[in-house]
Amino acid sequence: MSAATPFAVLAVALGGALVVACLEQAVAGATVSPRVLLRRAWRQVDQPLTTARGHDAWLYHLAPPLLLLAAVVALAMVPWAPGFRGVELSTGVILFAAAIAYVTPAVLMAGWGGGRPLVVLGGFRFVALMLAFAMPLAMVITAVAAPAESLRPAAIVDVQRAVPTALVQPLALLLWIPSAMTVAMLPPFDLATAREELGGGAFGQYTGVHAGMVALAQRILVLALAGMTAALFLSGWHGPLLPPAVWMALKTLAVATLMLWAGRRSPRVELDRLLSLAWKLAIPAAIGAIAWAGLVTLLFYVP
Amino acid sequence: MSSLGTALVFWPSAAIMLVTGLYVFRTASMARAGLLLLASLGVEGLIFLALASEFLGVLQLLMMSGEMVIMTFFMVMFMPDPGGLMGMDMTHEKRRSAALAVAVAVGLAVVAVVTDWPAQTLNGEAPDVRQIGFEVMGRSMFSFLFAGITILFAMVGGTLLAKHGGRLGLPAPGGDR
Repeated sequence: MSAATPFAVLAVALGGALVVACLEQAVAGATVSPRVLLRRAWRQVDQPLTTARGHDAWLYHLAPPLLLLAAVVALAMVPWAPGFRGVELSTGVILFAAAIAYVTPAVLMAGWGGGRPLVVLGGFRFVALMLAFAMPLAMVITAVAAPAESLRPAAIVDVQRAVPTALVQPLALLLWIPSAMTVAMLPPFDLATAREELGGGAFGQYTGVHAGMVALAQRILVLALAGMTAALFLSGWHGPLLPPAVWMALKTLAVATLMLWAGRRSPRVELDRLLSLAWKLAIPAAIGAIAWAGLVTLLFYVP
Repeated sequence: MSSLGTALVFWPSAAIMLVTGLYVFRTASMARAGLLLLASLGVEGLIFLALASEFLGVLQLLMMSGEMVIMTFFMVMFMPDPGGLMGMDMTHEKRRSAALAVAVAVGLAVVAVVTDWPAQTLNGEAPDVRQIGFEVMGRSMFSFLFAGITILFAMVGGTLLAKHGGRLGLPAPGGDR
């Protein structure tokens, strides 16, 4: 990590957000045009801010920056290439989970600060969803970190030189993908924020720069989660022939496309059922995934 | 981290922590109180990070988020005036509680100053993670197991009480999931 790393992370965040927005267009069957996207984004940011009565102004205005901060910190933990490992910490995956965890208070703040029944309800819905799905996410992180005996993302990538974790721990990947989609507020798990649900839910009141920040943060979250999926499960930058960074970019794009595409092709499920699924099925299964990871580590990885 | 870097993170974080902690009791809104507490305890994670205790700092950041959001929920659920629209006062027994708070603060400060802290220099890769692991799985296993089982009981109990019909399990209208 050097002094330029934070700037590089910011560049990846902005560039990657545009790529994710283009992917969304492609998945929706529209013509992909970054210029149209940028113009639309500018028109949105150019609108005045909503300052209706009944807002809890502090929470309302602080929520979009907090969401953006959480997304960027999460992205900073993703190791992209041997020479560019983001902000490298020996507890990187835990800080990734911690950054993701701050999406919850951000959305709660947006909802409560909005001060309208459907907006508040959207914030509460998201908390219920996140508490249910962040648990398997964090448990899966401990499972995939076990073979590497390290919480450093780059070390977890390196332990997959021979076999990607996706093949060794398929159950962990199966639990990770829907949880990651919930965190990224992607359909069909976007019951708290979708325009078709509660009229935009927690973010329903935001316009102008607020809405721009929320939209940017959501794209960065998708990028961070897709990048982390590639690093933790698909052996990151390892691959034949092509340079490491290209492999990592391809894998990240593939995961992001899968998450965006799968969401568009599945119906939204009622909140109670989703919660029931998470608490009764995903979390017990995640304990199983941790036990499996321990067994595999003891049998094959520990020298 | 250099000592200047440590100081640059430590003192502003400590100040933010104290100010947000104070405002938890100055606001009438339950949502604000809970989120201010989250800010206070989250910033405490930054202090751990500044003091080179990376694992504890990151863990503090991670755990506080979920815990304080849940607490905000409980405060909003159980308080009669969650939005603070009627200007509820969160302090009671003002004089006695202030005296007690000052006494406890002075006591803790004296302990912190008088204690002969071991002078340790940290180097290498996250020594604390390994030490915490051995501590949890060794000497402290019994207390952690006890705490874990207590929390599990609380979780099961809380869920049962939150269930429609309470712990008696009366059937919910339209079927129970």
